[in-house]
Amino acid sequence: MTETAVREREAVERIVLGTFGALTGRRGEPLRYAMMDDTPVGVLGLAAGEHGLRHLSFVGNEDEFIARLLAEHGDVPVLRSGTLDPVRRALDAYFTARHFDFDVAVDLSGVPAFHRRVLDETARIPAGRVATYTEIAVRAGSPRASRAAGNALHNNPVAIIVPCHRVLRTDGSLGGYGGGLHVKEWLLEHEGARPRAL
Amino acid sequence: MPHATGEDPQLMTLLLAKHGEELARHIRRVLRDDDAAQDVLQETMLRAHRARAALGAASNQRAWLYRVATNVALNAVRSRTRERAALARHAAEQQLVVEPQADGRDDERRVDLWAEVARLPERQRLALTLRVADELDYEEIARRIGGTAAAARANVYQATKRLKVEVGDP
Repeated sequence: MTETAVREREAVERIVLGTFGALTGRRGEPLRYAMMDDTPVGVLGLAAGEHGLRHLSFVGNEDEFIARLLAEHGDVPVLRSGTLDPVRRALDAYFTARHFDFDVAVDLSGVPAFHRRVLDETARIPAGRVATYTEIAVRAGSPRASRAAGNALHNNPVAIIVPCHRVLRTDGSLGGYGGGLHVKEWLLEHEGARPRAL
Repeated sequence: MPHATGEDPQLMTLLLAKHGEELARHIRRVLRDDDAAQDVLQETMLRAHRARAALGAASNQRAWLYRVATNVALNAVRSRTRERAALARHAAEQQLVVEPQADGRDDERRVDLWAEVARLPERQRLALTLRVADELDYEEIARRIGGTAAAARANVYQATKRLKVEVGDP
């Protein structure tokens, strides 16, 4: 074998070993992902580890989502999997049947403590209602940290299910949204909470 | 997408991410042996890597991978069957030779496969016995005799090589 062929073989071997090890449980748990290609808010990428959902992201396409997961999680094998079907069904029900409550395990262990408190508080806002960044900061225990709360929501790894779209500016304007403001607006209208100012 | 040739394993990463789980499941259904299945997935991905220029742009990557994986897996089943049959044949033939000879000059000719096995270096002997007689996978063999699964596999390989030399092919 030529030197290039050996390197190729080694590279493929490494990838197969990681993937197969993950599948057979001989190595660490992989990150399992699934795509939802045609939701009313565009393409969604979902990814979960053994302790729950870690990503629900607005993405361009599958390759981009895989690249993002690999960039963020380094050596953890990334595998498309049917194990996320229940989450996809729950999201389908959200979009089509207006079933707004998610019974989905979410894993926020990679999120800093204050950010996690903000996300936990955000998860308590019922569908059809909204809160402001300041209110969320207060509920998370840091009344003056509305900007930090905004950051936490901006970096929400699990969009929609942790409903950061229900958090607005104090003046009622939309603020920001990772999936685009039109998506935030769509989600709020879908849930029956029309923002006061667009 | 960056360069689609050379050392860049990105296409392999994407293909494995998208199809690895169902491919592995498919192969394991055919082989029922994790070590063999891993080899088959490995070989499948190497072939994919060699075919990457055509495969990268193809719309039926999944079908391609399934077809290749199935072929490689079936070849593995066939060669495994052949291997076991050969060992069984050896054993049967050698049993016949063990019959006592009337002229008393039979000692050197009592070539018994398991006697050959008994003369192997300890680790090779243990690994081969566990693999062939107990049909354990390499991970389990490594647990029993120590060392890694890869080392166990190498020991079995060395043992079968040595036996073929010493016993001869049927």
